[in-house]
Amino acid sequence: MNLPELTWSLLNRALDAYADSPRATNWLRGHLARFTEPLRLAVTGPHKSGRSTLVNALAGQVVANGPEPTRHHVPATRSQPALMLIDTPPVDAEAAEPGSLERICLEADAVLYLIGHPHNADPSFLRTVQDHPVARAAPVNALVVLSRADELGGGRVDALISARQVARRYRRETELAGLCQDIVPVAGLAAQAGRTMTETEFETFAALAAVPKAELEPLLLSADRFSAEEARAALLSRFGLFGVRLAATLVRGGVDSQAGLAAQLLQRTGLSELRDAIARYFTDRVGVLKARSALIGLEVVLRMEPRPAAAPLVTELERLLAGAHEFAELRMLAALRTGRARLPEELKEEALRLIGGYGDDPPTRLGVAGPEPQLRQAAFGALRLWQQYAENPVLGAAERRAALTVVRSCEAMAMAPGL
Amino acid sequence: MASPWLGVLDDTIQACGAHARPDLVERLRSRRAELAGPKVRVLVLGESGQGKSQLINGLVNAPVCAVGDDVTTSVPAVVQHAEAPAAAIVTGDEGRSLEGPGRVPAPVESVTARANRDSGAVRAEIGLPRKLLETGLALVDSPPIGSPASQHTHRTLAVLPQADAALLVSDATKELSPSELDLIGRVQRFCPTVAVVLTKTDLVPGWRRVAERNRARLEQDGLAAPVIPVSASLRLAAAKSGDKALNEESGYGALVRYLHQDLMGHVDLLRRRSVAALIHMTVEQLGAPLRERLAELREGGTDELTARWRAAGNRLEELQRESARWQTVLSDEVADLIADLDFDLRERTRRILREAEEYFEVADPAKDWPEFEEWLRDNLRSVAETNSNWLLDRFEWIARKIARQVAPRTGDVLPEALLGAESRDHIGDLRMPNVERFGLGQKLFVGMRGSYSGLLMFGLATTLAGMPLINPISLGAGAAFGAKSIFEERGNRLKRRQAAAKTAAHRHVDDFFLTYGKQSKDTVRLIHRELRDRCTTVAHELRTEIADTAKRIKQVIDADTAERGASARELARAIEQLNLLYRRGHALATTHAVRGLTA
Repeated sequence: MNLPELTWSLLNRALDAYADSPRATNWLRGHLARFTEPLRLAVTGPHKSGRSTLVNALAGQVVANGPEPTRHHVPATRSQPALMLIDTPPVDAEAAEPGSLERICLEADAVLYLIGHPHNADPSFLRTVQDHPVARAAPVNALVVLSRADELGGGRVDALISARQVARRYRRETELAGLCQDIVPVAGLAAQAGRTMTETEFETFAALAAVPKAELEPLLLSADRFSAEEARAALLSRFGLFGVRLAATLVRGGVDSQAGLAAQLLQRTGLSELRDAIARYFTDRVGVLKARSALIGLEVVLRMEPRPAAAPLVTELERLLAGAHEFAELRMLAALRTGRARLPEELKEEALRLIGGYGDDPPTRLGVAGPEPQLRQAAFGALRLWQQYAENPVLGAAERRAALTVVRSCEAMAMAPGL
Repeated sequence: MASPWLGVLDDTIQACGAHARPDLVERLRSRRAELAGPKVRVLVLGESGQGKSQLINGLVNAPVCAVGDDVTTSVPAVVQHAEAPAAAIVTGDEGRSLEGPGRVPAPVESVTARANRDSGAVRAEIGLPRKLLETGLALVDSPPIGSPASQHTHRTLAVLPQADAALLVSDATKELSPSELDLIGRVQRFCPTVAVVLTKTDLVPGWRRVAERNRARLEQDGLAAPVIPVSASLRLAAAKSGDKALNEESGYGALVRYLHQDLMGHVDLLRRRSVAALIHMTVEQLGAPLRERLAELREGGTDELTARWRAAGNRLEELQRESARWQTVLSDEVADLIADLDFDLRERTRRILREAEEYFEVADPAKDWPEFEEWLRDNLRSVAETNSNWLLDRFEWIARKIARQVAPRTGDVLPEALLGAESRDHIGDLRMPNVERFGLGQKLFVGMRGSYSGLLMFGLATTLAGMPLINPISLGAGAAFGAKSIFEERGNRLKRRQAAAKTAAHRHVDDFFLTYGKQSKDTVRLIHRELRDRCTTVAHELRTEIADTAKRIKQVIDADTAERGASARELARAIEQLNLLYRRGHALATTHAVRGLTA
């Protein structure tokens, strides 16, 4: 049985053990119900970090524009499974009301933590998120988003490229990297505008692009100059100077339809990258993250209402956590992708595939399509190969540790009953 | 230039010397040399990514400071006037390195980039022929201020005391954060002339509102700092195209005016303010330990000593009370002891006498005397032993009891010799009473006397019957009478002997009682006296000791208090002097306030 199934049965057993406590029963039932819901993704960050903007950008429509926390259900599309987006209150030390942090931690399955400037980022929120017996097993449910990537690059058209460089440095070097899966830059305002662009806006851009370059450039020099006309001011407040410059450049470069421009903006504001990361780390592994949330909920019950009947459950929970290879896999996946863990190039691809970086089902993992005996044979082959890597003295200690994680994945597949 | 502030500064340096702070003297001396020179250093500082380096590039219209989107500047860069463009990287730690600072010339365009990469560099120096810098203005680019522990923050703060004015750079995308406001407050303590430069106004449409809010916030926090909004990209574009209007729009015109007129136009005021801040800080640094010590002195650290002194006094009083008590207790106990001993002795001797009398009811002293004598001797010895042991035991008990009262905390105060009083022989010689012997002659004589009357009685009677006076009958009667009188005489003599023996025993026991009793009482008195003397000595010693301690403590307290008073006065005088300096420094800064600098 894998982690979600084990968690499911554990929750049901807990429900039996706490049948006489209405509070515990309610709580556990809620967690059981959450299991089948779409992933809950909390978008959180300090004051003015662009939480609502990013929620809108991810949702593709203006759903959050007030200070109140909102929930928005994003139905499944071809490119993206269903998501429950949660816009949260700011988590700054001064602005946050007490308990809001804990509520976010309990309510969300995964967290996007927005920071404007990574230099002054305060990782204490992420530390709080990971500060729980279950969460401590592996920090697999957080992504850091540099939500003001355009400002980081001074609003230049190539701002996102330099923001990516900044992100790359941070995901390798700093404390932030140990607290999240990945660090992704997004130009939030432009992304939101790109997702919700109207026909008139596109027309304004088209008109702008038609203006001769010598006339347009002085206009684009500063926000003040550009917003001199009312239509342009509205455009500026929607897209930001970066968005305006980017869109104008794109239209001038030959993008001739609203959909084309929207798609390009999606790419160039980093939103598609963010969506990929969310898919890769969160929605593809929704079962594991749901199990994680459920285990946290279960731990709360076991801790708050200890009773003799629940004692075996505590042991069971501990065993489950100690043996939860899924968390290690997720962590390893991020480490390999972000460069925190290194393997020789030819091994890296295979390792990513085996730990489920391209798909969670065994055929994809093993790269073999066929009946069960064939798959099992492939699994054993991979297992033997990676056992050798894990003991290979040519590889460094960190690389051998990474290889060991892959070995466990192979073992799990080779031993799985219904492969 | 004999400015009044130089005098005040020199006085401050002297005060530092007087307070044995060579580090401060050193610092102030070098600062004084800087202040006396023509240069005005303007430090550009702020959090990371706000556009500090870009601001300087805009001011000198040349890309001299390396800019980038990530943390770029890691060492300070000084941009100042030079006839021809020149640049150098300064390496080595100025303060500590043995080799001293080294200077490596480098191309002007890449000097900061190289200095930022070079781990040994402490700063980059750039000389440019600019009209703005001609008057002695030097712009200092600094690494970003971030977490207090980071090396960048440390480097910037290390430059801060040398700055004559500071430009805090904050970008227009957001208002001043609490940490920035806090930074302004901290900077103003070193360098009172601070302006906030709002950069990147080209990027956001709402920068005017941000600037207004910043002004309001600064005013609310009581921080005197003008807010100057600028846009470096507009300035660079204007420089490229030579567009005067664009230049004005960029805000740099206002900034240059601020630097040129408000700062460089009032160098003397700047100096005064810097000196005032410097003196303020120095006085604070010098004064804080003084005030602390003064407070400590006033608090009075003699609490513990005083408590001990009081305790000693109490102890003395207690001892005084105890001494009267233990003496009474001792005499009471001894009187009891004497009475008890007397009774015990009397009772024991009486029993012996009774037994002796019973013995002599039947025994014949003539035969049994030696046996009796031995018995009596043994008995009396055991009486003496028991009695004197009891005495010693009692005394030991009394002694311990008294010792506990006299010196409860000192150990055993009693000498062993006191209790080891030897027991002497009190029994003496027991003489055998005079026993008259009933010898053969006496028996014959008594027999004859008895038989004489019998013979005569019966002889006379038989003469009547015609018999001669001496006849067998009278002879027989005489013999019978003689024998009887001998028996009677023997019985009488035994009685007399027994009575004599009893009397002798009586007298002997009485003698024993008398001598032993006397001896015993003497011992009791002797021990009593010795015990009393001993205890008195101990108590006295204890008293003297405590009294001495109390006296010593009192002396220490007195000396301490006197010393405290003296040093408190000394400290107060020193603080007063520092305050005077402070007031003089303060007066420097407030003499003629110039509009514009105070915002």
